[in-house]
Amino acid sequence: MTTTLEHKAPVIKHEGGGLARHQNFLTGLIGGVAGAFIAWAISHHLLAQDVRTTSDAVAVLTGCGWIVGFWFGIGALNAPFAWLIGKDQTRKDQLYYAGEDQGTKRYWKYCTDHKVVGVQYIVMTMVLLGAGGILAMAIRTELIVPGNHFVDQQVYNGFIAVHGMLMILALIVAVAGPWGNFVVPIMCGAKDMAFPRLNALSLWTLVGAAGLLLTTLAVGSLTMGWVVLAPITDQAAVGMDFFALAILVFTVSTTVAGVNTICTVFTMRTKGMTLERLPIMVWGAIIAAALGLYAFPYFSLVEALQILDRTFSTSFFIGNGGGTGWLQANLFWLMGHPEVYVILIPAVAALFEIAAVMARKPVFSYRTAVAGMVGLAGLSILVWAHHMFTTGWAPTLGGPFMVTTELISIPTGLFFLVLIGTLWRGNIWMKLPTVWMFGFIANFIIAGITGIYLSDIPIDNQLHGTMFVTAHFHYVFVGSVLFGAIAALAFWYPKVTGRFLDEKLGRISFWLAFIGVQVTFLSMFISGLRGMPRRYASYSFIFEHTNFLTTIGAYMIMAGMLVLMAAVIYCWNHGEPSGSNPWHANSLEWLVSTPPPLENFDVLPVITEDPYNFEKEMVLS
Amino acid sequence: MSIDTHSHHDAHADGGHHEPPEVVDGRQRMSIWLFIAGDALTLAALVFTYLYLRGVNTSGHWMSMVGYPGPQLPGGHSWAYYSGLDSLPEPTTVVTGPLSAGLNWLGTAVTIISAGFIWAAERALRVAKNKSAFTLLAAIGTLVALAGIFISFHQLAAVPQILSVHADNTVLAFTAYGSSMIIIIGSAAVHLMLLVFLGVGLTLRSIRGAISVENWYQSRLVRMFWVWVAISAVAVSALTTTINTIH
Repeated sequence: MTTTLEHKAPVIKHEGGGLARHQNFLTGLIGGVAGAFIAWAISHHLLAQDVRTTSDAVAVLTGCGWIVGFWFGIGALNAPFAWLIGKDQTRKDQLYYAGEDQGTKRYWKYCTDHKVVGVQYIVMTMVLLGAGGILAMAIRTELIVPGNHFVDQQVYNGFIAVHGMLMILALIVAVAGPWGNFVVPIMCGAKDMAFPRLNALSLWTLVGAAGLLLTTLAVGSLTMGWVVLAPITDQAAVGMDFFALAILVFTVSTTVAGVNTICTVFTMRTKGMTLERLPIMVWGAIIAAALGLYAFPYFSLVEALQILDRTFSTSFFIGNGGGTGWLQANLFWLMGHPEVYVILIPAVAALFEIAAVMARKPVFSYRTAVAGMVGLAGLSILVWAHHMFTTGWAPTLGGPFMVTTELISIPTGLFFLVLIGTLWRGNIWMKLPTVWMFGFIANFIIAGITGIYLSDIPIDNQLHGTMFVTAHFHYVFVGSVLFGAIAALAFWYPKVTGRFLDEKLGRISFWLAFIGVQVTFLSMFISGLRGMPRRYASYSFIFEHTNFLTTIGAYMIMAGMLVLMAAVIYCWNHGEPSGSNPWHANSLEWLVSTPPPLENFDVLPVITEDPYNFEKEMVLS
Repeated sequence: MSIDTHSHHDAHADGGHHEPPEVVDGRQRMSIWLFIAGDALTLAALVFTYLYLRGVNTSGHWMSMVGYPGPQLPGGHSWAYYSGLDSLPEPTTVVTGPLSAGLNWLGTAVTIISAGFIWAAERALRVAKNKSAFTLLAAIGTLVALAGIFISFHQLAAVPQILSVHADNTVLAFTAYGSSMIIIIGSAAVHLMLLVFLGVGLTLRSIRGAISVENWYQSRLVRMFWVWVAISAVAVSALTTTINTIH
């Protein structure tokens, strides 16, 4: 008998990805908790227990353990160590990291596809805003009537600090995170960001920082507001250590993201995409990124010094050892004011983009728009001391700083000129993004004008530290930036999901939020004008009515945000299908399919004119 | 946006995936320059901190503090000897001097020498096309940087401490000058650790063939950052060894 042996060679399937196949958000959390526990156990065991700074040192090391463990667990350290031993990624590895054929699982992984990172930023922004919003509701509930005891007063102080910082972090990434990642590379004609792994690193580092920040509430919180003024920080509980470390880690995230954005725009634009043909949103992204690169080193340094003072008994901010709290104030505000424009500029740039598309007109005076953003960024680094007018620091510099601050109104005025000019006599398409844009314009006028009052030293002397200031910057951040961010969300949501954000729910949300902002913050202006100080858990009966109104308005804003969140979640799978170019726009992100494929373009397009000629509709051939 | 109907096939623009190294190098160089710019701003903030604290000299405590010379308690006794604050003598103003300029410049010289080795390594690879020399020089440069870390730790240990009495406890504390030197030296040490990581990477990658005579680009990127660290070390040493005491 003869037999035929059918020999089958073993098939070795190299799927790529290596260790990353087993890593995801859950392993990141496990790694983070394990890292924190190991760091806590070692430091608790090794450090002397009778020294004043030990608990702070243990807290900082535990926080570092969390971050390193989280990075390890999520897969952020795979590539650096592979590089170290000379093992570069294969094409299959890269595609695995980019999430190829992984469906929704990729959203829970260290995914390098810029569009996935963009969606992760959307979720992260909503989580941060949600957490900060819940704290805001707790704060306003405490203040609904004088002498209320909804929360303990120390807890209230902690809520104030963590609410402030959560919202700041959320708004820094609210536009630049989702849309700087999702649409900016496509707008440039690039297949991905310049450094896809760094892109994922920036997102997941932000997640790690948020974990540290929320830990602050659990381990003994802060009493000195989000600015965490020294030297009172020296007396704060260990929550301060987590707070400072969270900011340090966050600055790593923003620095990496900023470098990535700038390199993407300057080195990966497709042929013909000259700087003058760049969609205006791209200019906003790179100007904000550059300003962040300038500002955030101060942020990281000031928090590093806070940590050293608390853990190592240095004397940067302690008068007994030759330090001074003014150093902290200067370093903080050298960052703090540019940071406002790191937040604002991407939102304004997104609105320029929306205005042009919805009015079917080119951006009015494109160069003025760019000049306004550059001018605002440049001036913002020269105004920091207006936050210190009443502290007594360098009174002779008050005049110059007042002038530079008032000069800010010029580039800000250019924003209005460009927005109104773009809309003027346009055939305005009154859809959801446009509605939120008009909300921005109305609120930003109030934010800007009240800012001019506060830049004036005699008025600032009266209003500093009052609810007037709180109302002013909430008009900037909530009334303006948040409205701009939601307009951007409504505008690009169809590109992400292939579906419209529900128009009816969106408008309900808008009116609740818009009326809520006016009720909340106009009444807060009145409280401030009557002398009500910021950050107090209780107040005199003379502020009773305005505070009641403020709280009711705040509830309205929250209701509006809940409706919006419901719309975002519901419409993701059930919204009205939008097609790939629902606004008939001509910038590249609308010309690719929805959702855009991995690496965006099969072949890179050649650009021959700017994206604002709406007389002819382009298609990508 | 107007799109040419003849879209172009650009083999080089592939989103970071399997692109020729010279294409990737262009954007990586830009990123290195941006990271250096960010690092330079951090350095500027450090210098600002140092000069600000020296300038304001709060209560004359730039180089002094009320307490006892650390780390020993008066009389050379241990903390247990006194068993509490009550038995301690009245604290006095303790004045400290600046750190050793020689040690400071030694650390800087070591950083410069390590940068020199890395520069020579890069030239050996790019110009002389000698990979073995590259590997050897990169390894030596890394070891020299490692020596720099030890010098930094030695400097940190030499920062004068003062036993400062607090209401709730007593700690070994640092004056404003000492504090500034801790962050400056600590920052230098962290940079040197990063350089050692990069140097080890260059060496191992060269041994494993990931860096070659044809693919030398990463050596230039690392050299750029290494030279920047050396330049910043010179700037900081020049500042802290010439402008320190207050007369």
